[in-house]
Amino acid sequence: MHFGVAGIGGNSGGFHRYPKRISLAVVCGMFLLMTACAPTRQRNPNEIIFWSSNNPYEIEFARIIVAEWNRRHPQSPVRYQPVPEGQSSEEVILAAVVGRTTPDVYANMWQGDVEAFARAGVLVPLDTLPGFLDVMYQRCDSSVIQEATSQDGHIYQVPWKINPIMMLYNVRLFQAIGMERPPATYSEFLSAAEKMKADTDGDGYVDRWIGYLNVNVTWWKRLFDFYPLYLAASHGAPLVQGERVVFNNRAARRVFRFLRKLYAGNYLPRDPMEGRQDPFLTGQVATQFTGPWAVSYLEKFKPEGFQYQFAPVPVPDDHQGPIFTYGDPKNIVIFNTSPNPRLAWKFVRFMIEKENDRRFLEMTDQLPRRKNLFRDPYFQTYFRNNPRMIPFARQARYVRGTDGCPVLKEVFDAISQQFEAGVIYGVVPVEVALEMAARRVRLIL
Amino acid sequence: MRISQHWRGYGFVAPYVIHFLLFVAFPVAFSLVLVFHRWNIIAPMEFVGLGNFYRLARDTLFFRSLGNTLMFLLIHIPLQIVVALFFAELLNRRLHGRGFFRAAFFLPVIVSGVVVTILWQRLFSFDSGLLNRLLIALGLGKVGWLVDPDLAMPSIALMATWKNVGLYIVLFLVGLQSVPSHLYEAAELEGASAWQKFRHITLPMINPTVFLVVVLSTIGGFSLFIEPYILTGGGPLNRTLSAVLYIYKEGFFFYHMGYAATLGFFFALVIMLVVVLQKRVVERNVTL
Amino acid sequence: MARKVILYLVLLVGIVVFTYPFFWMLMASLAPEKEIESLVLIPSQVSLNSYRQVVEKIPIFRAFCNSLLVSGAVTAGVLVFGSMVGYALSRLRFRGRNLIFYILLFTMTLPFQITLIPQYILMVKLGWVDTYLALIAPYMMNAFGIIMFRQFFLSIPQDLIDAARIDGCGDLQILFRILWPNSIPALVTVGIITFMNSWNEVLWPLIVIRVEKLMTMPQLIALFAVGGRAEAQLGVKLAAATMLALPIVLAYLFFQRYFIESMATSGLKE
Repeated sequence: MHFGVAGIGGNSGGFHRYPKRISLAVVCGMFLLMTACAPTRQRNPNEIIFWSSNNPYEIEFARIIVAEWNRRHPQSPVRYQPVPEGQSSEEVILAAVVGRTTPDVYANMWQGDVEAFARAGVLVPLDTLPGFLDVMYQRCDSSVIQEATSQDGHIYQVPWKINPIMMLYNVRLFQAIGMERPPATYSEFLSAAEKMKADTDGDGYVDRWIGYLNVNVTWWKRLFDFYPLYLAASHGAPLVQGERVVFNNRAARRVFRFLRKLYAGNYLPRDPMEGRQDPFLTGQVATQFTGPWAVSYLEKFKPEGFQYQFAPVPVPDDHQGPIFTYGDPKNIVIFNTSPNPRLAWKFVRFMIEKENDRRFLEMTDQLPRRKNLFRDPYFQTYFRNNPRMIPFARQARYVRGTDGCPVLKEVFDAISQQFEAGVIYGVVPVEVALEMAARRVRLIL
Repeated sequence: MRISQHWRGYGFVAPYVIHFLLFVAFPVAFSLVLVFHRWNIIAPMEFVGLGNFYRLARDTLFFRSLGNTLMFLLIHIPLQIVVALFFAELLNRRLHGRGFFRAAFFLPVIVSGVVVTILWQRLFSFDSGLLNRLLIALGLGKVGWLVDPDLAMPSIALMATWKNVGLYIVLFLVGLQSVPSHLYEAAELEGASAWQKFRHITLPMINPTVFLVVVLSTIGGFSLFIEPYILTGGGPLNRTLSAVLYIYKEGFFFYHMGYAATLGFFFALVIMLVVVLQKRVVERNVTL
Repeated sequence: MARKVILYLVLLVGIVVFTYPFFWMLMASLAPEKEIESLVLIPSQVSLNSYRQVVEKIPIFRAFCNSLLVSGAVTAGVLVFGSMVGYALSRLRFRGRNLIFYILLFTMTLPFQITLIPQYILMVKLGWVDTYLALIAPYMMNAFGIIMFRQFFLSIPQDLIDAARIDGCGDLQILFRILWPNSIPALVTVGIITFMNSWNEVLWPLIVIRVEKLMTMPQLIALFAVGGRAEAQLGVKLAAATMLALPIVLAYLFFQRYFIESMATSGLKE
């Protein structure tokens, strides 16, 4: 067998040493790769690293207040970036905690995540910082402070903003069934549901419904249907208190029964309406439980002549008093990787000053979580210019966040699993479903 | 001076040995540590003894996910074999454009599961999906492909078959072409029907291919993940929750690393057991 | 004759079943949003709106480059290291050679489910989460590639190697200048399989990459499909899926024979 070895025969001499050298190089290379990571960062103690949410309006807000801070405090500048786009900002933060690359200040942490991070010891207990409690008492009423307090008695978060969940409805559709105002109670909702149910194209299948709940079992979907209804029916009761499960109660049973009736009557579709056009915009569903972020979305995509309004979520027929809902609170935390927590707190304090809260409101259409927001004349101009936000501002007095529980996601997961069985498919009695959810939570707690 | 062959050999396999130690041996050893701990990555590890196994034994959801995965295999594998054999048998005849047909059937194999799943999400949609529109046009009723708890997993199995069957058509074609033609000629002389030829000549001859297909689709089926992840998230009623999806959720939704590792460990044992059993059956059937 | 007609008809039905959905997807991604729910064949007008929205909403070109980089590096690694180890196992005699071979066979039967979680933790400990390394390093070698190369090299006549050695070639030269040019089928097979597996992998990226700018294309699109960013616009998801399918389908159109043969051999070898 002959072929062109001649071409390479020319430069012999020491080839046989290559393998060893190469393998050595490979070994060294891999070793270097392994050791080169996790670089130890040299941090300037007079510098603050700040991450905000990555929605464009909040980025703009952050940019402006950081510029102003840096103008006023050139000796302790803030370095700012939006939280890197990722699977979810929570995952990105977790990855940062694991890699110890967390920012000093993070302003967009879901309240339900705080307890787990606090337990892991990666957050600064803010109540140990000078002036913190004074600011808290000024900004929040006692129920909010209670909500923000962790199980160990410390406070690890600054209540910052809320987006109350309300019932969005299609005005025209309700007019078409002879209703000038949206249903407020369970029986009104049920009778409206009966009238709303229709087969508009005559193919023998219902294609117009009173509403649509996301039928996916992913735990956080329940934040936008079960949880607001539960808070409304229970006047803002918690789901868990410390190590105790308290959601297995009358209010939860009533919510489950109410929604179960809606599914049993085929008033709500079981089809996951993903991968299709928004059924609310196409007039196929008449209501939706959602927050103020829907406004800009609707304004962007709504067809001509489309009219919508917001109303409180429905409540049991004998309901008395204010109607609570879920506020989807996002808060500010300081990570203990911060070389100078006091300085970081100073920046946070600046960020939540009244003037910056107003700026925030104007720029993002999200509500700062401060007491008397709607009645305070300081914010009145905004609401006069943005009447769409008024229902949310009125609602803001009656919102709840989440319970301080390190395994809150699993609590919602357990509820969601049983929600599917007991409500959507109705294969398990309501009482059994809630008891099974409670049992699973007790196993985890 | 030549360096001895020993050392050159070690030099050449060194990268692999390092890779093996780092990415196979260490993880396997570490999983043995993890199964005895509770750990959410951010807080320190906590020794819990057999706590994870205790929880596993009572975790009905995990056994449901195992059952779902088996259910998937029980539908997917026979369907796959029948459809693949059917088309392979057709393509094995004398015909024009065989390469073209083969290439067309193979198309879904090369495309990412993500694409196939997003596409089938539209096909399966209850309200206006292509399949239900077809059924309505034929005067039949709509089918709740992904909505009906009893149908959701079979629907996913159907989709997986559609995606993979091209590969198995090709494998069966290779198998069919290796059957010596004189066997058929002899049978024809004895007046055997087409079905008899298939039953008594083809099937025994391609037995090894059948079992290869079974083993391959078993291993593939046990890693079912992205399809339910995108299509159903595991619902309805957890009927499409696959074992890998459940492990993923425990690990990366709830950060129960110790428990997720325990599930992975146990599940791997199940897989190895099933594959070993299948091999046993293969060997027995081939020698019979 | 009638039987022939039926045969072709059945095969044509098969073609429709396996390719029409892709055709529909392409058409739906080009159709105006309103028409998708009733689309059967061709939309009344072609609109690139869905594609424009994909490009605006997610960094899809960046993800394409990430995928290309990751799959390219993984494939290069598997080819170079795989053939090196395959060469040592087939042509060099050293103590422990059989042990390594057995380890290889063992790793091939080891289900990935067992190493999934600990491997993620290894990435955390090495600080590789949210780096390309996490996507590349664990996949740079695999037992399948090594064994393919070993088998193939065994079939190459020893004379060839002896002749080169007499000419003074070292092992690396023998491997890359003698064996490689004679192992094109093995290189193509291992290359295609590795590249495709890497390109289509989605579970591992979902685990180790959280930052959008490092995401691979299938990961980004899978998250786009399950997340809310498509704003319930149908065409956008289909357009994203089409963009994900396009590169591989184009490659397949030109090299379909190699794709089919490679995948068939990889199936038969296991």
